[in-house]
This record gives sequence, structure tokens and C-alpha cells, in this order.
Amino acid sequence: MENEKIKEHIKKRYSEIAKADCSSCSTTSCSSSCCSSSSCDAAPQYVAWKLGYSPADIESVPENAISGLGCGNPVALASLKEGETVLDLGSGGGMDAFLASKKVGPQGKVIGVDMTSEMVQKARATALEHGYTNVEFRLGEIEALPIEDETVDVIISNCVVNLAPDKLKVFKEAYRVLKPNGRLMVSDLVTHGTLPADVKSSFDAWSSCIAGALEKDDYLNKIATAGFKNIKIVSQKPYTIDLSKELRGKIVSIQVEAHKSS
Amino acid sequence: MDILACPIDKHYPLELHIFEETEEISEGVIVCPECLRWYPIREEIPEMLPDNLRNEKDELPFMQKWKQKFPKQILQEGKPFNLEKKE
Repeated sequence: MENEKIKEHIKKRYSEIAKADCSSCSTTSCSSSCCSSSSCDAAPQYVAWKLGYSPADIESVPENAISGLGCGNPVALASLKEGETVLDLGSGGGMDAFLASKKVGPQGKVIGVDMTSEMVQKARATALEHGYTNVEFRLGEIEALPIEDETVDVIISNCVVNLAPDKLKVFKEAYRVLKPNGRLMVSDLVTHGTLPADVKSSFDAWSSCIAGALEKDDYLNKIATAGFKNIKIVSQKPYTIDLSKELRGKIVSIQVEAHKSS
Repeated sequence: MDILACPIDKHYPLELHIFEETEEISEGVIVCPECLRWYPIREEIPEMLPDNLRNEKDELPFMQKWKQKFPKQILQEGKPFNLEKKE
């Protein structure tokens, strides 16, 4: 499949999600989103809790920022320190960016980058409405970051890199913008073994985070190729939400930590 | 504007031209002096997309609208598209 067509499909799908009211989940677009809730009846807050976010965290962010998307990235958020500059790759509705904003405090800064205009507008509106002053959102592509070299302390990303056709480029860009000693804390879906060919070639499977997922070792190797050191999986669990029987057991949600040398 | 760089050649710093401002910059343009690419700011959001994700039909009218305030060189030579090329 051509990369451009994949990107177009993903942008369209996620702009539909941004426009839909996911708290009521009455539209079909909610059910087929990336790493979405297991059933349309589940409140996004419940899904967020299942993904590992604490009830205190969930309560502390604006409700319309909680989309119930993603594989969850609580380890990355827990690692943030006051004053740090954080970059969120694929910031979506802004939930992780807002949680990060509280952790880094007024001396810190959070930048969210997302290629879907509707998502960025939604996150921006939420930031304004709730008075987040240390968070900004930019329309951009994670394979071509609009960020200066060596300016970011921590890169977080929640179930987004798998959507990018060129993952090595994403990790190289991440490496470029990190300061020396900076860290990458990504959460993503990877596979155990290869996926059936019909799944790989489906646009819908791409935008549901399945077809674009790499084999676990391949994913970690790409992070290493980009230059990162001390790469480790800090947690992992089988991913089962919205999966057909043939895919059960083949998809794993992993949280990875990697470092840029000094 | 700090730490904002051109997504194509990674040049920093970029030039900011403000067209409309309330509490924040609501409309404006960000220009890379190195490669002459221009990036619109609309509804307070900097649109820093690479060429392949840009929409000429949607963005040229924006350039037309602010023609008087755009840097002249960008109107004529700006990338990935400009008013000169269209005519």
C-alpha cells in the first residue's frame, strides 16, 4: 500500500473521531478507532482506567480530552519531573499532554504534535477552556517534526507510532529533537509473529493500529538503529480489545524506555 | 516560537509575521528563511505540515487573503506553492 494513501485514510478516520462525541459513542467511528474501547457502551473514563491511568489522573483532566483511545502510557507520565520540556507524538484529544502539563508544572512545557487538524483544534479548545498555559499544540507530522534540534527532555507517545508508515524516520526525528541524556517513553502495539496478508493490506486495520504494528524485535531494532541506548520494555501485556479471533494473542501492548547518550 | 523549526530542513529560528492578534496570535504566517517555505497560523494553530500533506486549494486562498501582509518574496517564491506560480 502507498504511504500517502495510508496517511490520508488515517487523517480521515481520526478527524471523524475528533468530530464525534465519544462520550456518548453513538457513532460507528468510535468503535473502529485506534486501540478503542472494547464496547461502545464503555465510558472513556472506564477505558482509561483499564489502560492503567489512576482514578486521580482521570479526574484531573478535562472530560472531553479523554477519548478512550491509546494503549495507555502511565509509566511515561509518572517519570516526568518538574520543569521538563515534553513532546507528545500524536497528541490527539490531548489527554496525555494535559496530564504531563500538571507533572512538569509552570516551569515546564508540553508540546503536542498531531497531523489531524480536527484533533489539534479540539485539544487547543480544551486547553483554552481549562486554562492550560504550558501546553501548545501544533499541526505536524511525526516523521517531519517542526521542532529544533536538542530541545526536548522527554518524548512521550501513546499508541501512535504504529500508524506511521516509516517508523525508523519517526525514531530518528525523536532522537534529533531530544537533548543529550533525553529519554523516549513510548507506548505502542507490536505483534508476536507476522500478521495474515489480508490484515496487512487493509486500510481499516491500519487505522485501528493493527496492520501498521511491527514485530516486537523489529520495533526495538528500529529504536536502536535511530541511535538510542539502554532500550528496555518497562511493561507489556496482551492486547485484546476489539480483536478478531485470528488476531488474539498476536498483538501486544508494550511500554518502551530508551535514552539518548550524553 | 521558541524551539519551532522548519519540518523540512530543520532550520531555526523561523520568522513570524502576525496578521491578527487577540490574546494569542490568531492568524499569521511562519516563514523558513532558509528554504522559503511558509506555514499558516490559523485559529491560533501553527500548521507545520510537510509538503506532501499540504493542501494548495485550502491554503492559497489564505495567502490571497493576507496578500498585503505577506512578505513579498514569499508571495512570489514561497514553497510549496505561491501566488506567482498560480498566475
